[in-house]
Amino acid sequence: MMDAPTTDRWIRRLNLLQLVLAGIIIMTPTVWMVLSSFKPSFEVTAYPPTLIFTPTMENYIELTKTTPFVSYAINSLIVTVGSTGLGLLFGIPAAFAVSWTRISWPAILTLAARMAPGTLFLLPWYVMFRQIGMIGSYTALILSHAVITLPIVIWVLLPSFDSIPRSVFEAAQVDGCSVTRVLWRIALPLVASGVAIAAILAFVFSWNYFLFALVLSNGDTKTLIAAAFNFIGEGSTQWGALMAAATLIALPPLILAALVQRWLVSGLTLGAVKG
Amino acid sequence: MLDAAATLTQDRQRLELSALSAPAVIFTVAMIAFPVVYTIWLGFQSFSSTGKQSFVGLANYSKLIVDTEFWHGLWVTIALYVLSLVLQLVFGIWLALVLFHAKRLPGIVRSLFISPFMMPPVVAGMMWLVILDPSLGAANYILQCFGLPPSEWLASPTWVIPTVALIDSWQWTPYVALIVLGGLQSLPPSVYEAAQIDGASPFKTFQRITLPLLLPTIVTAAILRSVDLLRFFDIIYITTQGGPGNASNTLNIYGFRVGFEFFNIGYASALMLTLTAIVFGAVLAFNRLRGAVAW
Repeated sequence: MMDAPTTDRWIRRLNLLQLVLAGIIIMTPTVWMVLSSFKPSFEVTAYPPTLIFTPTMENYIELTKTTPFVSYAINSLIVTVGSTGLGLLFGIPAAFAVSWTRISWPAILTLAARMAPGTLFLLPWYVMFRQIGMIGSYTALILSHAVITLPIVIWVLLPSFDSIPRSVFEAAQVDGCSVTRVLWRIALPLVASGVAIAAILAFVFSWNYFLFALVLSNGDTKTLIAAAFNFIGEGSTQWGALMAAATLIALPPLILAALVQRWLVSGLTLGAVKG
Repeated sequence: MLDAAATLTQDRQRLELSALSAPAVIFTVAMIAFPVVYTIWLGFQSFSSTGKQSFVGLANYSKLIVDTEFWHGLWVTIALYVLSLVLQLVFGIWLALVLFHAKRLPGIVRSLFISPFMMPPVVAGMMWLVILDPSLGAANYILQCFGLPPSEWLASPTWVIPTVALIDSWQWTPYVALIVLGGLQSLPPSVYEAAQIDGASPFKTFQRITLPLLLPTIVTAAILRSVDLLRFFDIIYITTQGGPGNASNTLNIYGFRVGFEFFNIGYASALMLTLTAIVFGAVLAFNRLRGAVAW
């Protein structure tokens, strides 16, 4: 019979072992992608796969030389920043009004939009945007991606606005502040960190979104994600360049997510779980 | 006199609050509500190859009933959904328990755990495409090292659904785990202490106490994953485009191809409305379940 502290230590070791195992499973594919992107072209398709190699930048150089990678990246940035900005512009006042009035249907309306399959909107958008000649325009892409960012902004900010004590607003109103002034001068500075998280999450999900750009962009406005398809076509024998593209596309969301990892879960569940 | 002034301020206030939510509401109506109504109307139309459209009533929906590709797509969608959801919930709960007992989680470890679901699904598809390559991929090499036969993975009609479920589960299990971890951390510690005093084994404690208390959180995770899984698109479109043959042709992929590859907008609209009804049905069912397991 083992005494309690010894059992405890063994349980803790067993737990650590499981944690390491999970970490390895989670990390290995990503590490493999990054490693492959630095492999010389003859080694990336070597079989059996090699772990030791001389790292090279040739895949990245090849990628920027043979594909318009940089202009795709600029397109992605325009669409993502535009839709995040639009989401914040519309979402911040809406979240504030919902929190103040407790009338939640505007928030639920935007959430319902997030639950439906994107193709449901893409069909009518395609027909409508084609009629007014907007297929391939940044405007169409930014508007469509704002459908993704708006509910994120509203639902991440709702709990933040809710947590401000009512007395703060009431005091301001007694001093003769209008509702709009209360929002910009008093409430917004108090939820600044919430706005930062909302902006980052909106950016990540807009950057990652595939479907809309696939149909609504053209050669000039194609985003990185929509262009991923081309990289696969060209990269069927060039895994190195393909993995370099994948690494670069994943980099912005991963860096941003690492910045806000602590607050991410409550934001990602759109308020369903208080983390 | 004072009353009138107060009412005036209140009216002004209400007006201002409406004005604040107006942009979001108008945007959503213009981009979502109106287009959805338009889709419903499109669902009653037929588009000829020359682009001429005509009203066909319920023809698109009766076509749906006899379309074997639709029923196949429904089967693929449900198989992929059930398999992925079960994998993600089971491993998500396991991972949450492991994380919960680790006590201290450095930021770097947390960043590591969220990295799969923060990267674009498209990138996940690209990297797994290379890893799972039937002839040169690292996955088959690892199988060989353990003396197992190599698999065709995404190239095999039998294995493509489990493989896609595996890729999605790699991406989203940590997400489920972090939600469940949030639930675990909000449980009152007193219940464990009581169980420990009663001499319950760790397994019994989990089965009889932790799991029932966690159910609402688990159902929440299931709802959030259901919405994504039932409209599965990105990873399949990048890796197989519904293939090999039509083995991974989910309803969302099928509807997309009918609409944007065959330009049969009317029939695609009927397909997408059906899929939307399925997604909302699942969410409502789970919501009821959450009500039933709440404490």
